[in-house]
Amino acid sequence: MGGLARRVSYIKAFQHRSNMEVPTLFVDAGNLFTDDRFAGDHLPAEVMTKNQWVVKGYSDFHQDVANISFNDLPYIAELFKKDGYEKRLQEYPFIDRLISANLEPADDTRRAPQPYLIREVTLSRTAPGKKLRIAFVGLTEGKPTSPNQHESLYAGFRINDVFETAKRVIPEAKKKADMVVVLAYMSQDMAQRLASENPDIDTLIVARQMSLMNDPEHFGRATITYAFNQTKYLGELRYYLRSDSTIENQINRYVALDADLPDDPQASEIVTAAHNDFTNVQKASMDANPAPAAQPASQDSPFVGASTCMNCHATQYAVWEKSGHAHAMATLERKSQQFDNECVRCHVVGFNKGGFQSLISTPQLANVQCEACHGPGREHVAAPAKGFGFMATPTGCVQCHTLTNSPDFNFATYWPKIKH
Amino acid sequence: MHRKLSLSVTLLFITILTTLQFGCSGSDPGEADMNAPLSFDINSPKIKERLGNDDGYAMAIIYGADIHGSLETCG
Repeated sequence: MGGLARRVSYIKAFQHRSNMEVPTLFVDAGNLFTDDRFAGDHLPAEVMTKNQWVVKGYSDFHQDVANISFNDLPYIAELFKKDGYEKRLQEYPFIDRLISANLEPADDTRRAPQPYLIREVTLSRTAPGKKLRIAFVGLTEGKPTSPNQHESLYAGFRINDVFETAKRVIPEAKKKADMVVVLAYMSQDMAQRLASENPDIDTLIVARQMSLMNDPEHFGRATITYAFNQTKYLGELRYYLRSDSTIENQINRYVALDADLPDDPQASEIVTAAHNDFTNVQKASMDANPAPAAQPASQDSPFVGASTCMNCHATQYAVWEKSGHAHAMATLERKSQQFDNECVRCHVVGFNKGGFQSLISTPQLANVQCEACHGPGREHVAAPAKGFGFMATPTGCVQCHTLTNSPDFNFATYWPKIKH
Repeated sequence: MHRKLSLSVTLLFITILTTLQFGCSGSDPGEADMNAPLSFDINSPKIKERLGNDDGYAMAIIYGADIHGSLETCG
């Protein structure tokens, strides 16, 4: 599900269907870039590479506006450096379409993003030839440090209060436009408060790694919709206007970007090039920093691997060995994603929990083995006892078989395949 | 005279071409042409189902988020 190549296909089809006569804008509500393994002042080379390809992809396939979220800041800190900015902008015009009203650089080595952008479209259906100006305002919550606390300074940027900023910026944007659309990276509660407090907002497009496909919410004149995590479902807001071009109604649709949508050939080329580049940089990085040789019996890890479990649970092992779980890494290898930590975490044992690190240092913990579901087994091996490894189903399964990662998951049909 | 006319025609042709390429579409040099012919049939039942009905909307905003550095998704 998802991906640039299917997204581009859909957008092209959408425009062709109306013979290009209906103005259509493409926006992103935030979290475009990864901040994985941000080490205080720099991003690792492979993470930089991934982000650079996003900038290229979004420059090559027109994006009208994108909101900067707190997750984006380590890479934004690189993009918005004053030194070399004009050259970067010339190469990747998309940089100038990254907005935020409540971010400001903590020092003068970086540029501040534009608080809002106004896009003008020409209507053809309700009032042919009439121009409509749409102001897009960007806002992000601070970087969370605990459930109720947010960092106000991150990666060289100050993250100002969302609500104070909105009260200042949104009326200003409204004066210059016919319609105000806020791109907001924040929780549902914050978005609802934002809509309630700011009557000039017409549409609020909200993201925060949510997997919601609810009907839009309405607060005063504002319509709130939620972007689906990883854009596996594309959001589509249709506007129906009165003869004076004011909004009569907004209807939201979610479009599944599944295999029924063919990949766009041009976008596929970018995705493949990005993929190969990232894989090469990742391999080079691993070669330059070789991890210790694989130690199947490493006493440092709480995980022991399926081959140890087999010593006492041979019947269960035999079932597992024939299941898809035992070959989960091969699924990634077929798409050369075995180095992409975003994907790897659900295809191994104990990622980021003292288990799998990489195919070079801990190959014995690749694939979804016994301990991925039943928990680390080292203590159990040392003192075997009944009651170990209970796992609630399907609650445990849906940690990885989420709606976004595994849309076809059905416990009733999946469980018999691994019943043991 | 003939050479001047020929040069003028060439310059006019280049100007028209440049305008068509970059001026009217509002896109940047190097951007993919989103209006280019499609490589698939938008009238196939599956694509039509995805597109839904054209019910007279005047404008649309297509949106996404949270790609977190990945132009593709896992597996």
